[in-house]
Amino acid sequence: MQTLDLQWPQMLLLLVMVLIPWLALGLLGIRLTREIGVGIVRMIVQLGLIGIYLKFLFDLNNPWLNGLWILIMLIAADLTILRRAGLRRPVFFVSTFVAISVSVLFSTAFLIVLVIQPPHFYDAQYLVPLAGMILGNCLHSNIIGLERFFSALRHRENEYLTYLMLGASRGEAVQPFLREAVKAAINPTVAGMATMGLVSLPGMMTGQILGGADPWVAVKYQIAIMLCIFTSTALAALLNLRLSIHLAFTAFDGLRDDLLDDH
Amino acid sequence: MTALIRFDQVTVALRNKTLLSHVSFSLQAGEKAALQGRSGAGKSTVLKALLGFLPLARGDIFFEGEPLTPSIARKLRAAAAYIAQEPILGAETVREALVLPYQFRAHHERQPTEGELIQVLDDFQLPADLLKQPCARISVGEKQRVVLARAKLLGKRLYLLDEVTSALDPESKKPVFRMLADPDLTVLSVAHDPDWISRCPTALVMDEGRLSRERCGADA
Repeated sequence: MQTLDLQWPQMLLLLVMVLIPWLALGLLGIRLTREIGVGIVRMIVQLGLIGIYLKFLFDLNNPWLNGLWILIMLIAADLTILRRAGLRRPVFFVSTFVAISVSVLFSTAFLIVLVIQPPHFYDAQYLVPLAGMILGNCLHSNIIGLERFFSALRHRENEYLTYLMLGASRGEAVQPFLREAVKAAINPTVAGMATMGLVSLPGMMTGQILGGADPWVAVKYQIAIMLCIFTSTALAALLNLRLSIHLAFTAFDGLRDDLLDDH
Repeated sequence: MTALIRFDQVTVALRNKTLLSHVSFSLQAGEKAALQGRSGAGKSTVLKALLGFLPLARGDIFFEGEPLTPSIARKLRAAAAYIAQEPILGAETVREALVLPYQFRAHHERQPTEGELIQVLDDFQLPADLLKQPCARISVGEKQRVVLARAKLLGKRLYLLDEVTSALDPESKKPVFRMLADPDLTVLSVAHDPDWISRCPTALVMDEGRLSRERCGADA
C-alpha cells in the first residue's frame, strides 16, 4: 500500500476551501483576517523549509547532523518554554535545557535502542520525528508546570512564608506548590491517554495508516510513543521544577524578585 | 541588656520604590509593641524585613545582637510566629492545621497528644469538636485563634502579628490578650484595634516608610 501523493492544483483547492471561513469571519466583523493570512503563509513557508531540510537530513542520515538538529530543537523548545511561561532566560535557560534534554533523550533513546531497534540508533527516519513528538509534548507540560509553580508562589506567598515559619525547610515549604504544578503539567498527557482512540484518532497513528502501515503496527507505535511522552513529560516537569527551586530563591529563602520576563 | 530585635537605619527598596527609609528601633525580650500608621505606611514591611523576606538596601537588623544572616533569619523564624490578617491554616481540617508543623523535619520527634490539642483550643475558648471541622467552614475569628493556638503549641516566644484581633469580638479577644500578656513573650503587632494598642506599652508610628514617632511607657 502506497500513500497517494497530493498534486499541487489540488493543494491550491484547499486554499479555496479556507476562503469560506475566512470570508465568513470577515463578514461577521471578527477582525482576524490579517492574522489568519499570516498564519497560513507562515505555516506553508515553515513546513516547506522543514520539508527541504528533512529531505536533506534523511538523504545524508549523518549521526552528527541528526544530533545537531535535535540540539536546535531542544534550544528552540527551551526558549519557547521560558517565553510562554514568562520567565527570564538568564535565570532559567540552563535548568530548562538540562531538564528537557535529559528527559527527552532518555525516553527517545529507550524507545529507539531498546524497543524499535533500527539498524542504526541515529536513523533520521526514527530519531527526528520521535524526538520531535516527545519534545513537543514536553514543551507544553513544562510551560504549564513552570507557569503554575511561579504564579502560585507569587500569589500565595503568605502561604509559603507560613510553612517556613512553622519550621519547614525551603524544600518542604514549596512541596504543595510543586505537587500542584507537576499535576497540572502531566494532566493533559494523562487525560490524552485515557481518551485516546475514543475522542480522536491520534496523529501519529493516522499518519502511519495514511502512509500505508498495517493498523496493528500503527497502534503499537502509538502506544509506544504515548508511554514515552508520558515518561518524558513527567520527568521533565519534575526535574525542571526541582532545578528551578535552587535558582528562584534568595539565600534567605524569599522568592527572588527578578524572575519574571517583564522585570 | 542586648535587645531581642534591633533595626538600625533600615532601608528597604523594591523595584525602585522605597518601602522603608532609615527605620531604627529596638525591642527588649518580653516587650509588647504596636506598629501604627496609615495603610501603605510600611507596617507589614517591617515584619517581613525582620523575617528576612525582603532585601535590605541599607542598614542592619539584629536578632539577639547578631546581624540577620540567612542562618540567623532561620533561627529567628524558629522562635517567631508570623500571623497575617488573613490567617493561613494550610490544611483541610483544624486538627490537620494544628499538627501541620510536626510533619516538617524540624519538629518530627515531637507530636502533640490529643489532650494537648484540646487544651490549647480551650485556652482560646474554642471547643474540642472544632478539631474535626474543615478549615473552610470556620470563621476568620476562629482561624485567627487556631493559628495562635498552633504557635502556642510550638512554644513560639516572638509574635509578629498583622491585625490579628481584627475579626474578634470582645469576649474572644480576652484569651488572646491573656496569652500575649505573658512576660516571656515579645510581641510586635500591626494594630488599629484601640483595645490592643492600649495594652502595648510601646507604640511605633510609621508614616510613608519612616518611623515617625516612638512612644514608650505611660505615653502609649
